[in-house]
Amino acid sequence: MAAPGPVLELSGVHKHFGELEVLRGIDMKISKGDVVCVVGPSGSGKSTLLRCINMLEPPNQGQIILEGKEITGETSADALCDVRQRVGMVFQQFNLFPHKNALENVSVAPVTVLDRSKEEARQHATELLGRVGLSDKLGEYPERLSGGQQQRVAIARALAMDPHVMLFDEVTSALDPELVKEVLDVMRELADEGMTMIVVTHEMSFAREVADHLVFMDEGVIVEQGKPAQVLDNPKEERTRRFLGLVLEH
Amino acid sequence: MDVIVQQFFDLNVMRDNFGLIWDGFQQTLLLSLIAGGLSLVWGLVVALLRQLPGRAAAPIRWLTIAYIDSFRGIPLLLILLLVNGSLGALNGDPLPEWLAVPNWFGEPYQFWYGIFAITLTYGAYMAEVYRAGIEAIPSGQMEAARSLGMSHGQAMRQVVVPQAVRTVIPPLLNDFIALMKDTSLVSFIGFVEVVQAGQDVYQVTYNVSALTLGAIFFLICTIPLARVVDWLIARQQARYQRGGIDGPTPTETTSGPLGGTAGA
Repeated sequence: MAAPGPVLELSGVHKHFGELEVLRGIDMKISKGDVVCVVGPSGSGKSTLLRCINMLEPPNQGQIILEGKEITGETSADALCDVRQRVGMVFQQFNLFPHKNALENVSVAPVTVLDRSKEEARQHATELLGRVGLSDKLGEYPERLSGGQQQRVAIARALAMDPHVMLFDEVTSALDPELVKEVLDVMRELADEGMTMIVVTHEMSFAREVADHLVFMDEGVIVEQGKPAQVLDNPKEERTRRFLGLVLEH
Repeated sequence: MDVIVQQFFDLNVMRDNFGLIWDGFQQTLLLSLIAGGLSLVWGLVVALLRQLPGRAAAPIRWLTIAYIDSFRGIPLLLILLLVNGSLGALNGDPLPEWLAVPNWFGEPYQFWYGIFAITLTYGAYMAEVYRAGIEAIPSGQMEAARSLGMSHGQAMRQVVVPQAVRTVIPPLLNDFIALMKDTSLVSFIGFVEVVQAGQDVYQVTYNVSALTLGAIFFLICTIPLARVVDWLIARQQARYQRGGIDGPTPTETTSGPLGGTAGA
């Protein structure tokens, strides 16, 4: 698996919905174990970028290369499923399956997609739920879990597919403030364990502390990027300064 | 007053013909349960075909829409007469006899023609109910399933349909009540179910009490079903109001081909 090149490489990625241009040429290189945080105002295309990377929204133009193989242009169902197995995603609204308990939420995809046996998948799911601190909630249904707990189940669910890259789409934005930390702690641990992660977030202190690389996006382009401390403390671009001024000072 | 009571509720007529009416009602029940079960399955198949993604599936989607629109727009009686008038004529060429003039499980071909016509019609109704249920599931559910590598079919099977079916049980039961009443149309092609049995008695006695007895049999089934529907809806709404899992109930309650739902 020691591919010499980057795990993920984007060049000139464009996405439009009708007239609306959401991504206007994104270039990115992400190496194994990197944590990239993407920040920017709402509507800047951050979420769409993540959705392009796992082909929930196929880009209209440009290239995405995952582990040395181009995935843009793939339309066969099998190829897309294969991409999505390697790229895990966690959503702002959790999107847990409400008719399944925590254990089933985490084990359903390995059983249906990877043909794992039920016992094996459940065992793995139990381990993962333990890792996110929910060993005592295996049998609970999502409606009986707090937002923070639901989001941790969602992280475990994505991890159950043994992804090589994890995408986090504003995963703490829908949480009550006191629940944010428990989710960020799980993500911090993942980062420490060497998971390759792309994190769209408004949590600037998390970005500063955990990210190897910070990307500031606005109006569908990358305005500025670099080491988090450098971008956050000494932004070069006026647009970055303005955004950070609004986000950091209050 | 006595004359009226005598006309509708002549206990002697009811008692003397109870066996005939009961036999007829058993046929009604059998028609309802078989056609109802088949409609439930067929309707789900049609709804899923209609939801197939991608350009390649466009002709299939188009066909299912044409089917649903047609069979919801034509009276069940007319469908029944079309089936009855054509299948027999196609016997031997091109249809084999076991299909053209079915005599399965000892039931006459009229029974099975009725099953065909009712299933075709109510399958179209129920497909629309399922569709409302499927479309009421938030798109994030499908996305989450797809993001885990599930195919469209796997996501439907594991995630969307199990949730959708729960929300559409009340409207499906409403359709079943309408279906049950519409089985009486099969009498038009010479099948003796409860209405025809009552009518046969009437033509001998010139008294409608046997028909009244048939109506009572219907009500014994349909009124409790209607109460079950109400109870299920109330339960779902309570659950939804406290932010539970079932989500909004699709409110569409389709009416039967003759325009009536017995619900509520």
